[in-house]
Amino acid sequence: MEVTVKIFRYNPEKDQRGNYVTYKIEADENDRVLDVLEYIKGKTDGSLSFRRSCAHGVCGSDAMRINGRNMLACKVLIRDVGANITVEPILGLKVKKDLIVDMEPFFDNYRKMLPYFINESPLPADGRERLQSPEHRARFDETTKCILCAACTTSCPSFWASDEYYGPAAIVTAHRFIFDSRDEAADKRLQVLAETDGIARCHTAYNCTEACPREIKITKAIGEVKLAIITGKLD
Amino acid sequence: MTTKSRTLSIKQRGLTNFESIMWIFTRLSALAMYALILFGMIGALVMGAREQMNFADVMRWAFMPNVTHVQSTEVPDLNPWSNPFWKLTASALLLVAVAHGVHGLVVIADDYITSEGGRKFVRLLSIIMMASMSLMGLYIIWTS
Repeated sequence: MEVTVKIFRYNPEKDQRGNYVTYKIEADENDRVLDVLEYIKGKTDGSLSFRRSCAHGVCGSDAMRINGRNMLACKVLIRDVGANITVEPILGLKVKKDLIVDMEPFFDNYRKMLPYFINESPLPADGRERLQSPEHRARFDETTKCILCAACTTSCPSFWASDEYYGPAAIVTAHRFIFDSRDEAADKRLQVLAETDGIARCHTAYNCTEACPREIKITKAIGEVKLAIITGKLD
Repeated sequence: MTTKSRTLSIKQRGLTNFESIMWIFTRLSALAMYALILFGMIGALVMGAREQMNFADVMRWAFMPNVTHVQSTEVPDLNPWSNPFWKLTASALLLVAVAHGVHGLVVIADDYITSEGGRKFVRLLSIIMMASMSLMGLYIIWTS
């Protein structure tokens, strides 16, 4: 089938502003959007720039706006989006070139959540690992699935308005550690989230939950963090 | 294995931060407004409002259960509205509603104004607006 792909192009060395270029190519309905982009880059226009790495929905490199929705190009098939496809960079972050955006503000917010295990207590008597019950592990299972693709954060209207807002992905990361029974720094993370640019900026638009390619119930996770701030209960 | 129940104190979870206190206040004040609005409407019915039930009148009783507003609604007896109990109820609703509304505007402004100075300016303006609106409303309620 013939597929018409309209792609946002921007070359910082030449262009004042971005523009759209349309490509018509032959593709199979079972091809992924990433295959189409690879084809255009390989056969039609080698200057097309986008991020990709594993191409199997695990690394989270190729989040982009496909027909107006944030998706991973490697996880969406042509038959799901139709023969007319518009591909744009994710919103809210500065475009560096074509579909590549500057992810630094996103990772700055991520780092503010102390995204690592913190436990200063001595190891258990046997000197081996800190054990955890299956129930305690299940408490934060959902948010361990995040691959930091930024599809959620860049679909969030609060983040579009201001990248000072930590954004859904950062809060998902905080959730993963706050509710881990072995971690001891939930207070530090909640104190950061209780600031002006924290959870108060979440207006429950649900865009993040819709955008997540890992189907994490992000709005629910943010709600649990809000409740933890209100009640102080971490179980 | 960690089994102890984990609970954080108010200070530990950052609830001493003014912004997060206001965030919770906005939610609670919305609930309080529902309660006070219902209270005003039920009060109007108890005090004899039977026919003046068009939209405008109901809104007046709900949001401003005070004698000034009841005057224009053809309720035959205005006296019940001018006692201190209804004035206090009206004052409570006024203060809660103004604080809720003004803080809502601050939150919206924060979406667009991200510099520290800008946000401080918005907060100063909003405090002035909140104080003047509250004072004007209280003046109307308690001098009528």
